[in-house]
Amino acid sequence: MSAYRENSEWIGPAADVAIYVGTGEFAVASHPDILYTPALGSCIGLTLFDPFRHTGGLAHVMLPTPADSGSRGTLDRFASYAVPRLVELLSEGGARHRLVAKLIGGAAMFKGEGNMASIGDRNAEEVRRQLDLLRIPILAEDTGGSHARTVELHLDTGLVIVRSYLYGMKEL
Amino acid sequence: MNPEQLSELQIDALREVGSIGAGHAATALSQMLGTAVSLDVPRISLIHVTEVPNVLGGPESLVGAVHCRLLGDISGAILFIASRQDLLSLVDMLRNREPGSTKSLHPDEEALAVHAASILISAYVAAIGRMADISLLPAPASFAFDMLGAILESVTAEVSMKVDTALLILTRFQGTEQSIDAGIFYLPAPDSLEVLLGRLGII
Repeated sequence: MSAYRENSEWIGPAADVAIYVGTGEFAVASHPDILYTPALGSCIGLTLFDPFRHTGGLAHVMLPTPADSGSRGTLDRFASYAVPRLVELLSEGGARHRLVAKLIGGAAMFKGEGNMASIGDRNAEEVRRQLDLLRIPILAEDTGGSHARTVELHLDTGLVIVRSYLYGMKEL
Repeated sequence: MNPEQLSELQIDALREVGSIGAGHAATALSQMLGTAVSLDVPRISLIHVTEVPNVLGGPESLVGAVHCRLLGDISGAILFIASRQDLLSLVDMLRNREPGSTKSLHPDEEALAVHAASILISAYVAAIGRMADISLLPAPASFAFDMLGAILESVTAEVSMKVDTALLILTRFQGTEQSIDAGIFYLPAPDSLEVLLGRLGII
């Protein structure tokens, strides 16, 4: 089974194994599934991987804390909620000490605007703080800059593939 | 306010606001170019912000976007979005070049496209302001050229995700030699849509 579909402008994961994680959502899956989330801007893509069980999770975090939004709606989009929840989902049977994290995204998409630039940085900061509280090591990061990123988490090896128009494919 | 919560009449009123705004934008473009630019509005609709990427070719499609925050009696953001090719055509049109001769966006061409887009946004905003008799000013424009999904996400995060409705105006600027398809989005902050409708006398 090929993990990739052909004849597409962007070569993404094949539909039968890909699990799509939308903006402000998170999901957990096991090998041979591939978790992916397209077009991260100021949001953070956080991947957690348990190498022993080939299980992992991907969160698409929009804002640092609920204090940054006055609106109702799901809590899943906040770092302060999504990170502990995702860790909890993956911690079954004492697996928490095996989890390793990778961080992608947190860009400042628009040139020349102060406030907007800081949202990506604040997102990354809050995710790092939450991971630190839970004692989960961050193995790799591809954050900041001003370009969009698409993220895939392959659950056989924990490989993270980051794609962007600026740099093409990058492996973390 | 969700699109589903609006009545037929309210949606019609917002459509009308949208097409008058687009008309003013076309006039502005004609004046800039010194040639007639006619305008088609193939689609005006109120949609969920999450549906926007699907309307414009997927979250990973490469687009140029000009973003202005709105200041004044109502707030929110206005976005001008065009695909890479349409943005190049806009530069062709503004520079009076043969269609298809602009191949890439250099800094000066980028500045030109941003400037043109912000003039279109200003014309559009001014029309809405006059119609509803409210003071409305666009903040200085900022530019991004990347994946559509990432751009929208950053804008909605910036208005703190309070936005769930977008007024989408798909416009086609028809010049003498070529046409440009662009999307203009108004992302109203919460309550702003109510204020706007209230000022128009439709509650």
